[in-house]
Amino acid sequence: MAINAAFLITLRSEDNMGLMDYFKPVPTMTAEEVRQFFTDKKPDAYNLVDVRQPGEYERYHIPGANLIPMAELRDRIDEIDPAKPTITY
Amino acid sequence: MRSRSAATLLLGLGLSNVYSMEGGIKAWKGMVAHGQPKSGMAYFMPAAGAEEIVGLAWSLEEGSKLFYQGLSAQFNKDREAQEMFEWLISAEKNHEKNLLQSYEDLTGKQPDFTKLRAKFGDSLSGAIMEGGIAVKEALTWLKDKGVPDSLELAMSMEVNAFDLYIKMSRAIEDEQARHVFAKLSAEEQVHLKKLAALLEKKF
Repeated sequence: MAINAAFLITLRSEDNMGLMDYFKPVPTMTAEEVRQFFTDKKPDAYNLVDVRQPGEYERYHIPGANLIPMAELRDRIDEIDPAKPTITY
Repeated sequence: MRSRSAATLLLGLGLSNVYSMEGGIKAWKGMVAHGQPKSGMAYFMPAAGAEEIVGLAWSLEEGSKLFYQGLSAQFNKDREAQEMFEWLISAEKNHEKNLLQSYEDLTGKQPDFTKLRAKFGDSLSGAIMEGGIAVKEALTWLKDKGVPDSLELAMSMEVNAFDLYIKMSRAIEDEQARHVFAKLSAEEQVHLKKLAALLEKKF
């Protein structure tokens, strides 16, 4: 798993996120690393979240992914178990 | 890119251990599932009795078994394909056996098969067949197609079943039933690997 030095820049400010939070690197995984990650894990050992829209999800999605469209994430955060690792795509 | 923003948002909301997958779903090289988030799960309410859930799963497996029996009969001239379908048929029978055992463990009795078939019958086949096709329609469609097409359709069916079982193994409240579906989803992965290997050969 590589921590990419890829910084997010946005002009909107969110809740208690300071501006500096936007410059933190986002941990990422390659698709192959994600596939490896699932291979030896039980389905309930991680959160896999598809953040696209319902139409996109319906056309195709990664097996076992739960759909929480980007705009609904904040309201539906309780659907994500904080005790488990979370992968978004 | 949405996923990175989503990961940032989740981290900002206090979640730890969050990762964004690079390249999005376009970078995904494995199989993909189709259908709405709750597709097939409408029949499986999380708080439904384990008995009902296991009965429903049995019906799904029955549909798959019938599908493979139809394919085995149709492609009886292709020995490799036939062996694959016969293997899948015995795998489905094994699933059914385990599900029936779970049913008996949970309820202390054998299920009423006539009732199961009448209650869940053909309508459930749409839950796991691609594009909502029932088993009969799929076999009719495959009548003038070759082995690769049937393997592809079989794989679509298996991956959608896999998708459904994973979600169910998370959502169901009853721990025993949850365990049953975790096992089923692991076995679906094995089916998929074997189908993919044969498909590659046939192409």
